[in-house]
Parts: sequence; C-alpha cells; structure tokens
Amino acid sequence: MIVPIGPVHPGLKEPLRLKLETQGERVVKAEIDYGYVHRGIEKIMEGKTWQKCIYLAERICGICSYEHTQSFAEVLEHMAGVYAPPRAQFLRVITNELDRIQSHYLANSTFFKCLDHELLFMKVLELREYAMDSIELLTGNRVNMGWNVLGGVRMDANEEHFNAILENLKVIEENHDRIVELFSEGSVLALRTKGVGEMTREEALKGRAVGPIGRASGLKHDCREFHPTYRDHLDFSPIWRKEGDNYARVMNRFDEIPQSIDLIKQAIDNMPKGDIRVPVEVNTGYSEWVNEAPRGEVKYMCETNGNLIKHISIRTPSITNIDSCAKYMLTNVPTVADAVATYASCDPCIACAERVQVLNRDTNEKIVKDMF
Amino acid sequence: MSSLIWYVYEFARKTWINRFTDAKSHKESVEKPSRFRDFPVVIKENCIGCGSCIASCPSPTAIKLVRDETTEEAEGLVYPVINEGGCIRCGFCAEVCPSNPKTLECGENHLIKEDFNIIPSKRRYIVDDYLCIKCNSCIKACPVDAVSVVDGHVKVNQLKCIACGECVKACKVKGAMKGIFIDNLQDQRKLIKLVVDSLEKYIEAQQEDLEKLAPESLLQLKFPISNIWDEALKIIPDTEIAHEIIENAVDRLKIRVITWNSEKCMKCQMCVKECPIGAISFDEERDTIVRDHDKCCRCSICFQTCPFAVIKLFLAKFVLDSDDEGNEYAFITVTPSQLDHDFIKGEHNAG
Amino acid sequence: MLDRLKDIVRKTSINVCIVNCGGCNGCDVELVACLSPRYDLEQYGIYLQNNPRDADIILLTGPVTEQWEDKLRRIYAKTPEPKLVLAVGNCPQTGSVFAQEGGRVSAPASNFIPIDGAVSGCPPSPPEIINAILNVAPDAMVAKSHENKKIKDDEDEV
Repeated sequence: MIVPIGPVHPGLKEPLRLKLETQGERVVKAEIDYGYVHRGIEKIMEGKTWQKCIYLAERICGICSYEHTQSFAEVLEHMAGVYAPPRAQFLRVITNELDRIQSHYLANSTFFKCLDHELLFMKVLELREYAMDSIELLTGNRVNMGWNVLGGVRMDANEEHFNAILENLKVIEENHDRIVELFSEGSVLALRTKGVGEMTREEALKGRAVGPIGRASGLKHDCREFHPTYRDHLDFSPIWRKEGDNYARVMNRFDEIPQSIDLIKQAIDNMPKGDIRVPVEVNTGYSEWVNEAPRGEVKYMCETNGNLIKHISIRTPSITNIDSCAKYMLTNVPTVADAVATYASCDPCIACAERVQVLNRDTNEKIVKDMF
Repeated sequence: MSSLIWYVYEFARKTWINRFTDAKSHKESVEKPSRFRDFPVVIKENCIGCGSCIASCPSPTAIKLVRDETTEEAEGLVYPVINEGGCIRCGFCAEVCPSNPKTLECGENHLIKEDFNIIPSKRRYIVDDYLCIKCNSCIKACPVDAVSVVDGHVKVNQLKCIACGECVKACKVKGAMKGIFIDNLQDQRKLIKLVVDSLEKYIEAQQEDLEKLAPESLLQLKFPISNIWDEALKIIPDTEIAHEIIENAVDRLKIRVITWNSEKCMKCQMCVKECPIGAISFDEERDTIVRDHDKCCRCSICFQTCPFAVIKLFLAKFVLDSDDEGNEYAFITVTPSQLDHDFIKGEHNAG
Repeated sequence: MLDRLKDIVRKTSINVCIVNCGGCNGCDVELVACLSPRYDLEQYGIYLQNNPRDADIILLTGPVTEQWEDKLRRIYAKTPEPKLVLAVGNCPQTGSVFAQEGGRVSAPASNFIPIDGAVSGCPPSPPEIINAILNVAPDAMVAKSHENKKIKDDEDEV
C-alpha cells in the first residue's frame, strides 16, 4: 500500500509530498512530488541590473544563502576580469566556513528530530547558536546577510571582532567531541543508522550525487580544491568515507566541522591589510563559475547584454541529490519511520530545486523553459 | 555502559545544576547586538529629493518619496518614507544617499564613503565637446559637484554622478549634454542603421532631380517618420527610447550620397582598378559595371576617376521637426559635392 | 467560575502549527532556532504540533504560490475554533522581492484567509518573533473565545 507523507510535517521544513510504497512494514519504493515552492526567480532577474538582483539571489534558499551571493558576485567579476582585493577574499573565506558550520549542525539536528532523540536535537542546536553569533558580528544579520557586493564586501572587521569570533569557536571546539561521542558510541542509535539507506559508489556516480552525500559513498570530490583562494593560500584536503549509509553521512558532516574551524584560524592568522572593495564595470559577455555550498556543488552560468542580465541559469546541488535519494537510498528500508529519517539525512533543500518546463503534448516541443 | 556513566556525569556537573534551578532565558539574548542592521531611520531635513534611494532599492514596495504641504511659514519638505512590510533591510538606500550629512541611517551602512557609487541607472551622462559652448550652467546646476572643467573641456565624473538629469535641463544648447542609454547597444545600433539606410534610399530614388542640380544650388526634401515607425518599434519596443534614438540619429546627421547614371557609362573599367575596397566589379556576361551597395564606403575616389561624369557625389544634411499638423518629418537639404571637376581638369591638363 | 478557568488555561497553554506556503526557508530556520535552549519557546507554554487539527494558532511563512491557493483555504477550514493566524516575515504581507514582473506569486495572503497579526523583517530575528507572539496571542485568544461564545448565544436565542 502507499503511505503519503504530506506537505505539512514538523520534521520537514519545506512542503513536499513523499509517496512510500510498502509491503507490510518494509518500504520498497518511493516517489517524490515537488512543485509547491516555485516562484519564478530566474525570470524576474532578466532585464535588470546587478544591484537589484544580488539580494534576490540570496533569497533562493535561506539555509545556504551566503553561497549564492558569493557565486553571483564572482561570476560577474570573472566576466569583467577583476579579482576582489586579498583582504576581501580572506574575509569571504571566514564567512563561508562559518555558514558551513551552521548548516551542518542544522542538518544533523533535523535528522535527530526525525529519529525522536530530543537530547541530541537540543544540544546540537545550542552549539549552532555560537556560530550564528559570529556571523552576526561580522556581517550584520543572522540569515540573508546582505554583505557581498561586486568587487568585495561592505563591512570591515578589526582585532576585537576577530578575538570575539575566536572565543566563540573555542566554546564549539570544547563541546563538539563529547556530543559526537554520544552519537557514535550509543548502541541503540547504531541499530537504527548503520546499514540503513545504503548507496554504493556506482549508484552515486549514476545519480550524480555531490557534496557530503557523494563523499560518504566514496566519491572524493570537493570544489574547494579548484577555487583560487583555497588553492593558493590555504591548506586543505577533502574528507570522505566508504560505506554510504545514514551513519556515514551524519559522521561525514560532523567531521567536516573541525576542518572548517582550522581553516578559519588559518585565515585569521594570515589576514592581509588593505582596502576591501574595488569598482567593477559589467559589459556584454558570458561566463561560468563553480563554488562549494554546504550541500554540494553550485554552478552559475550568466549572459549579459550591456549593463543588464539577459539570461541566467543556476545549478544547485539538491536537484540531483534528492533524485538519487528517492531512487537508490529508499529501496529497502525496514520501517516507515526509518524512511523519513533517511530522507532527512540526505539534507534536502527544496527551495533550491524547483524547476518548471512547459511541453506541448502534440508536437513534443518545449515552449517555455522557465526555471525556478 | 559507558553512556550510562556519561549520563550520570552530565547530571552531576555544576552548570547542569545551575541551569536546572534557573530555567529562564538570559536577559542579554533579548537585546539587539551592536552591529545589527535594523530598519532604516529617516532624518527629514537633509533630503535633497534626488531619488537615488528609490532607484537602488531591490524591493518594489519598500520606499517612496513624499512631499509635505506647503504652509505659510515654510516650504513643504520632501523626504522618503519606508514601508516595513516590504523592506528587506539591505541598507542600499543608506549607502547611496548623496547628501551630507545623510538622510537615511541603517546599521553601519551609512558610514560607507567610497569614491565610487553603485546607483543603477539606464542612462550615462556625457558632454558633446563639439557643441559645448562652455557657459558652465551645468556645473552650477549639479547637486553633487560631478561636472567640472578638466584641461579646458567640461567633463562629467562618472563615479560621482547620480543620474538625476538636472544638467540636461540646465544646458542651453540642444544636444551638448546627452544622456545615452547604455543597455541593449546591439538593438540601438540596428535602429540607427535602419534610419540611415531608409533615408539614403529615399534620396537615391530622386536621381532625376539630383542630376539636373547646378553646382551652387540645393534641393529640399521631406521624409515622414511614420514610414519607419512600426519597424522601429519592433526592434526596441519602448516608444520613449525609440523616439529619442531616432531624434539623436537624425539631428545634425551628414551623409554622402552617390548616384550612378548607367547610360553614360563607356565601360572603360578605370573605376574597377581604382576602388580601394573592391566594391566595383565588371560582370562579363551582362556587360555592365556592378557596384556593391554594402561594401562601398563613399570615399569618392571613383567620382574623381570617371572621365564621363557617370558618378555624382552629393552631401545631405538633416533635421527632425514637426509641421503644423504635428506629423514628424526629417527635413533634408542636398547639395552637390564641392570636390568638383576643376580639380580633375587640372590633373588632366598637368598629366 | 468555569469560564474563568477556561480563560486561564487558554492564556497559558497555546499550541502552534507552522505552515510554509512556499518561502525561502529563512523564517522557518529562525522558528526552529526559537526552540533551541537559548531562546526557548516552550518555557512560556507554547508547544509545537504536527497537525493543523490540534493547533490554536497557525504561523504562516512564505508568499502564496500557485499550488497553495486552494490548499491554504482547506487548512484554515480544518483548524478548530478559536483560531488565529499570524504572518511571520514580509512575504505573506506584501510578497517583498518576489512580487515583481515575471514572478509567480499571488501576494498578499489576506486575499485567501483572514490574517490577524504580522511580524515584519526579512527574516525577523527570534527575540522579535517571541516578543510579537507573547504580546498578541494570549489576550487575543481570550477575546476570540468570548466573541465566539457571544455569537453562539445569539444564534441559540434566535
């Protein structure tokens, strides 16, 4: 029989419908129904200047919102042939890693809520607040920050702010290991997470999974290795595992957090001096840029006409992650509750992934290729 | 077993006991931190009414300009009003405000004082040096001192300009201070090409009248703009922009027009060799000289070469105006070229 | 006597259901942060439920997209009386940045269901949300229950 898990559900932050096909208690197949969050953002951006579009790109998704503004700014800077000044690049690295820490904590705490483990849910949320405090100190707001512009950043930081950030990071570091041990050593939790929702390496390659989910299945690929700032100035290597079940995905996210803290400390130690913003002029052309969001790889492809944007196309990681989750992970899960938890462990972000295409059924041609 | 010991240890810690007895949120989590960016605050008296805050706001319903009523004591103030239900708290309005001290204050954004500004505008304001009479009215009219005299020429500093349009209103010569549209440049080029091509075709069609023109006289023609208006709107759908581009293209336009009288041609083929671009060629099958209209650059070398006066060169000047009924015409004045045959006769006499 | 007891209970124990009509999730993330031990919503007696059928207050986030127009009315009809609707964020009020040419959003949400209060901001921070709920909700619930009782008594008389 088919069990629907509907649009309004406390464990899922966003509206979508999961249709699970069960045999008795075991879940055999799954199907996902999108379409509730389509707002037409790429169409709104056509024919406008960058000043009106950069804070619209931020509101594609509120959880990974920082990465969208940085990619938008870098795509247009790359088209004009200009790099942001070195101090601005290092400040961007700090905010990028802080955003990654808070997003990984949020994803894991949602997984624990789906398992109905209230203690870990609350403890992980409390640690997340220290990262949000640091973001607010640097940029002025907690979510939807409004800090990046073309050519650099808007607000500078001095010694006091860096010392306050380092103190917040110290609190996170002291408590992180105890909480992870509570998850990894618990015997009942191991029964519910090890061996559930497996995805092998071949299946991950076929389904094009990216981000921590692909890395937990053996695909060692991280876009931060190709970014100019990380490649030339910072010391970094990706973290990966082999098993590909729920336990591996959650532990992969937990393991990336000390690496981010280390990167922030490196950036604060080597911070250069100088100005934080340069003027940039946008001309006609086409360019692409790739960046690593907390959930995977984000690619922006943009074409301009004079001063205005003519066509923009955004590829977010959740498009292929959710599809590979429905096809490969939810095939042989013991119970319905475990199926909901498996879906929450693949870190979905539906607002990033809404696409619309209009087909003419008689002639089979696409009339309106309207994204988002 | 280890997790049981961990639980007992957690409950016995001092912080757990403190929080158990005092289970309320701390007071400082409710206060706003120092760098938080709240809704903007408006100071009414400093506003100069330029409109840059409205041009740079990303949200359509957030901000609008309002004028108070004029009373007997003082003139009504102009100032912006913010709708909190639409404002996204980005701070662009506080950053681009050009008045000193600023009208809007938002977080720390009103302290940004860069040398360049980021106001989005459809037009760029530049000075046409050929027409400027250096009366300095634009320098006095600019509210932010963006126009100045550099090396004897009047120039606009693009980094300071806020695109308000006061300089165009103050300029006494039509066309010396221009606000050109900087987007869809490809479409603007197409429209200008359409206008110039249709005007040239119209003049070339009057070949008989032109042939009879004496050297010092002129011919006057009228070309109605309604002939090309529908096509123009297909290229650029905005009527205001299309009309302005046609006006700027036609006013003070000067082109050369070449007419070709094939009956007098003796097929000596001297023009074929002299043409520097190769726009003229001899068609063997039909025994005629062929001139390529698109390649020809109107350099007038063929006009100076032909000994039989087959080719004639004319100069045309245009102005856009409307007649008594309100229809728009391009008034055309055509004169024969002053590069006349005395020059050629002189060469032949010498050679 | 029984009425006074009912009023006290209605003020101090409120059930809340979050309905996301297609927003960017910024406001949902701030609502989840309200449950964390620092800002602790449950110390005031406000509990988060799964189901609109056992909720007193509906918290609405996000601009209303095309698929949600009829479903929003059904959810409002399923909630039992007395009920309130609070709009969190700018999107249910005016549609903020999405209500431009090319967007697929029919804002404001008061075209579909009656809205009783709003918290502004994009997104509003957790102290602002808690402040708004505590100022509005207890007294409004008591007032609404009195109003409903009056309407019912008038109907019974007639």
